[in-house]
Amino acid sequence: MAKILEVKDLCKTFVIDKRQNNVLKNVNFTVEEGDMIAIMGPSGSGKTTLLYSVSGMDAATCGSVLFEGKDITKLSQNELSNLRLNEMGFIFQQMFMMKNLSILDNIVLPALESKKDNEKKPEKIKRALELMRKLSIIDVADNDINEVSGGQLQRACICRSMINKPRLLFADEPTGALNRTASGEVMEAIVKLNNEGTTVMMVTHDARVAARCKRVLYIVDGNIKGEFISDTNSLITDNERKLNNWLLDLGW
Amino acid sequence: MYLNILKKDLRHKKTMNIILLLFAILASMFVSAGLANVVTVMNGTDYFLDLAGVEDYVIITQNGGENVEEILKSSPNVTSYKKENCFWGSKDDLSVEGKKIELKNNTLLIQHLEETGIKFFKMDNSQLAHINKGDIYVTSGFLSSNNLKVGDILKVEFGDTNKSYRIAGEMKDAFLGSDMMGNTRLLISNEDYRDYTKSQSLLPYLGSLYYVASDNVKALGEEISPAENVLFSDSREIVKLCYVMEMIIAMIVLVLSVCLIIVSFVLLKFVISFSISKEFREIGVMKAIGIRNFKIRSLYITKYLAMAIIGGIAGFVLGIPFGNFLTGAVSKKMILGNNYGIAVNVCGSILVIVIMSIFTYLCTGKIKKASPVNAIRSGQTGERYGKKSIYSIKKSHLGNAFYMALNDVLSAPKRFVTIIISFFLCSILVFGIVEVTDTMKSDRLITAFTKKSDMYINDAKILKMEFLSSDGDAYLDETSKKIEEDLKSLDMPARVSADVLYRYPLTFDGNTSSFVFQQNTKAKASEYEYSKGSAPQKRNEIAITPIVSDKLGAYIGDRVTIDFGTEKLDCIITAIFQSMDQLGSVIRLHEDAPTSLANASALMSFQVDFNDKPSAKEIAKRIDIVKDFYDIDDVFDAAMYSDDCMHVSKTMEKVSKLLLLITCIVVVLVTILMERSFIQEEVHEIALLKAIGFKNSFIIKWQSIRFMIVTVTSLLLAIILTYPITKLWCDPIWKMMGAYHVSYYFNPLSLLVVYPGIILLLNLVAVLLTAMHTNKITSKDIMNIE
Repeated sequence: MAKILEVKDLCKTFVIDKRQNNVLKNVNFTVEEGDMIAIMGPSGSGKTTLLYSVSGMDAATCGSVLFEGKDITKLSQNELSNLRLNEMGFIFQQMFMMKNLSILDNIVLPALESKKDNEKKPEKIKRALELMRKLSIIDVADNDINEVSGGQLQRACICRSMINKPRLLFADEPTGALNRTASGEVMEAIVKLNNEGTTVMMVTHDARVAARCKRVLYIVDGNIKGEFISDTNSLITDNERKLNNWLLDLGW
Repeated sequence: MYLNILKKDLRHKKTMNIILLLFAILASMFVSAGLANVVTVMNGTDYFLDLAGVEDYVIITQNGGENVEEILKSSPNVTSYKKENCFWGSKDDLSVEGKKIELKNNTLLIQHLEETGIKFFKMDNSQLAHINKGDIYVTSGFLSSNNLKVGDILKVEFGDTNKSYRIAGEMKDAFLGSDMMGNTRLLISNEDYRDYTKSQSLLPYLGSLYYVASDNVKALGEEISPAENVLFSDSREIVKLCYVMEMIIAMIVLVLSVCLIIVSFVLLKFVISFSISKEFREIGVMKAIGIRNFKIRSLYITKYLAMAIIGGIAGFVLGIPFGNFLTGAVSKKMILGNNYGIAVNVCGSILVIVIMSIFTYLCTGKIKKASPVNAIRSGQTGERYGKKSIYSIKKSHLGNAFYMALNDVLSAPKRFVTIIISFFLCSILVFGIVEVTDTMKSDRLITAFTKKSDMYINDAKILKMEFLSSDGDAYLDETSKKIEEDLKSLDMPARVSADVLYRYPLTFDGNTSSFVFQQNTKAKASEYEYSKGSAPQKRNEIAITPIVSDKLGAYIGDRVTIDFGTEKLDCIITAIFQSMDQLGSVIRLHEDAPTSLANASALMSFQVDFNDKPSAKEIAKRIDIVKDFYDIDDVFDAAMYSDDCMHVSKTMEKVSKLLLLITCIVVVLVTILMERSFIQEEVHEIALLKAIGFKNSFIIKWQSIRFMIVTVTSLLLAIILTYPITKLWCDPIWKMMGAYHVSYYFNPLSLLVVYPGIILLLNLVAVLLTAMHTNKITSKDIMNIE
C-alpha cells in the first residue's frame, strides 16, 4: 500500500506564560492508503494536538508532515485551506454546523466552494443526497440542524467531510458527544467509508471505537508508546478484548 | 464572590463590554445634546429677540416717514417706542480693494450705536457696546460670503462722502439678521456717522426703524396702515417667522438628535439582549449550583447599571461640545441659549441611565428562562441553533458567499432589522435635506415668488432705489424700454417687466389693515399661477394667498376696499395663489390697478421673456452676454433667481453635508460594533469554515456582503420613502413660508448616486476593516470552542 501520510520527528511546543510545554516530542509514524488508525492516550497526552498538526490546522514547531510526499508544514495558509477543502475531511466531537443552513445545505457548501472537479451544482447536490442516503439521513435533508438527533447530526458532519471525496478523513472523538446507539451508528458509517477506500485517522478515548480500527497508536506525554495492529480475521469483540489488554499493559 | 464574578466578566468579555459602554456613551451624548437642543430651539427666537430688546411691533421707514412718529406719539395702543435713525445705502456703495461686495439684498443700512433701539451682539455673544472711530461692524455672514476677514478695509462711497473703515468684526442682529429679512446693517462709530448727517445730498436716504411696545398690535397695525414711506411694518411674530430658515436648521438638528436617540436605544437593547444570550452558560451554571434568579439578575443589573452610570457621565461631558457643534450653524446668526443651563444636559444623561436600567431589567428577564440543563447541554436544546433556514442553496443562483450572507439576513431578520432601522433613520434625514436643497436650487419654487421668465436682472446697478419715488413709474418704464432696446440690439428681442411690491391699506368687514400688494408693470396677472379660482381679469379684481385669506377671513367672491391713495377701489377676490414673498402675506393686483411707485416698498427684479423661447442652454449663453453688456453680476435664470430669493440653499447644503458626516460616523460606528458582535458570536462557525478549508477571503466576503445587503436595503427604503417623509415634515415649513403646493425635485445624481454612494462606500470600508478581525480566528480555534 502507498503511503498517504508520513510524519517525521514532529514536535509541537506551546509557550504559556513564558513556560515551554512540549506537547509532541519527535513523533514518527506513517499512514498508508486505506488505513484506519485510532490515536489513544490519556487526557493531555497530545492526541488532539497530533491530529491538528498532521492535518495542517495547527503549525508544527519542527519536523515534517508529508501528505502524498508533499511537506504540508511548508505550505501557505491558502494552500493548506485548499488541501483541507479538497483532500482532507474533518469530523469533530462537537457537531459544528452553520446554524442558518439546512442539513443538506451544510453538506453541499464545501462542494460548491471546491474547484476540485468540474461537477455542476445539481451533480454536487445529487452526490450529497447519495451520501446522506448511504448514511441513512436522507429523510432529514431539508431539516434545520436543531431538528435532528445528535447521531443524525454527526452523520451529517461525516457526509460534509466526505462531500469532496477526501483522500484522508480526520476525526476528533467523533462519538465523544453521543450515546451508545448513536455512537454505534456513526462508527458503522466511518467503517463503511473506510471499507470503500477512504483512509481514516481518528482520536478516541473509547476502546470499543478503537477496536474497529486497523491500527491503534498509543501516545503518552507527546511520544508514541506503542502500536496495536488489529487482527482482521478476529471478531470485533475479540479485537476489543485484545486491545483492552494491550492498553492495560501500557498503563491505560 | 459576586464581585469576583463581575470582575472576571469584565475581564473576559472585554469586547462586548466596551461595545456596550460605547453605546451607553453615545446614547447619553445624543440624548443630552438633543434635549438641550430641543429646549434651545423651542425658545431660540424668543430668547434672542428678548435679549436684543425687539419689541411687539416694528416699523421701517424711508425718507419722510415722520407721520409714523406722529401716529406712535398719539396712539393709545403704544406703551412705549424706541427709534433708530439710519441711512439707506446700496451694496454698490461698498468695495474692498476695488472689488464690489456680494449681498443678498441690494439695500443696506448704515447706523451708529448711539440711541439704538435694540442691542447688537458680537460673535462671542457679548454685547456690542462701543465702536472705535474708523471701525465698522457688519452683519454676521458678511465676511464669509465675501471671503473677507477682520482687519480688511471696507470702502464706503455714499453720496458725496467717501470713507474707509477697518472691519472690526461681525455682529448678530436680532431684527434684520435673519435669512428672510436679509438686510445688511453696517454699524459705525458716532463720530463717523455724524459725517454723513452733515451731507445734504444724503438726506433723501435717511430712514428710521421703530421698535414699539404695544398691548394691541392688531389695532396698532391698522393705525399705521395709512402712513406713507413705510417699507415694513409688522408684529414681532413676523420677525420671529423670518427666522424660519434658521429654525428649520435647528429643527433638522433636533430631528437628527431624535434619530440618533432612537438609533442608540435600538442598538443598546440589541447589545444587552445579545450579551445576556451569550452568557446563558454562566447563568445556567450559577443556577445549577443553587444561586437564585434574583441574585443572578442583580449581578447583571449591577454590571449594566455601572456601565449606564459611567456611560451617562461620559456622554454628558461629551454632549456639551457635541450639542454646541450641532447648533453651530444656527448660532452664527442667533444667540441660542436656554435658561436652564446644563441642567437639561444632566436630565438627558439621567434619562439614559434610567432607560438603560429599565432595558437591563426587562432584558435580564430572560435569565428566568435559562436552565441548568441548557448550560450543561452546551446549548443543544435549541438556543444556539434556534435559527430557521428559509432560503435553500438548491434554489440559489448566487455565489456561495453571497448566498450565505443573504441566507443569514433572511434567517435572522430581527438582528438585521435593528441595523436597517439605524441606517434608514440616518439616511432618510440626509436624503430629505438633500431633496429640499435640490428643490431650492431648482426652478420648482419660482412660481412661489413670481412668474417664470427666461431671465431675471437683479443687479443694484440697474435696480436702483430711485425707482421707489414719486417719479418712479416713469423712470421704471424708461429703464424697461431701455433694456428691451439693448436686448434687441444684441439680437435677442424680449419683453421686460418687473414685479413691484406696494403697501396699501385694505378694508374688509369694517377692519382696515396694511397689506403688501404685488403687481407686474407689463405682464398680465393671468400669466401667474393660481391654485384656486381664476386670475384677476379686471382692474378691480385681486388674488390673495391662503395666509391673507386666513388673516382677513375673506375668500374667493368676497369684496374688499383698497385705498390706492389716488382712488379707493372696491375689489373682488377672484383667486387664491401661493407666494413666499412677505412670508405669504401678499395680494396680487390686476396690471391696470391704480398703483404708484411712490407707494412701493420694493422692486423685485427685471424679468426678461425672450420672444423666441430659447432653450436652457441658449438662456445660459444670453445671461453671460447680458452680464458682459451691462458689466453686472446678478443676472439669473429661473432656478438661480429662485435660489437667490431664498438665499438659503448654501446653508442647507452645508447642513446636508454635516448630516452626511454624522450619518457616516453613525453608520461606521454601528457597522464596526455590530460586526464585532457578530464575529464574536460566530467564532465557532468561522473556525469551522476555516477548518474545513474555506479561505480568509471567503469569510471576509461573506461578512461584508451581509452588511452590504443590509445597507443597500436601508438605502433603498430611504430613497423610496424620501419623498413622502420629506413631504410630511417639510410641507408644514413651506406653508409657514407661504408655499402651499411644493413640487419636490428628485435629483437622481444626488439621491441615487452621490449620497447613497458615499454611505455605501464608507460602510463597505468599515465592514471590510472590521471583518479582517476574522483573520485572527484560525481553524485550530475549533478546539477551544465550548
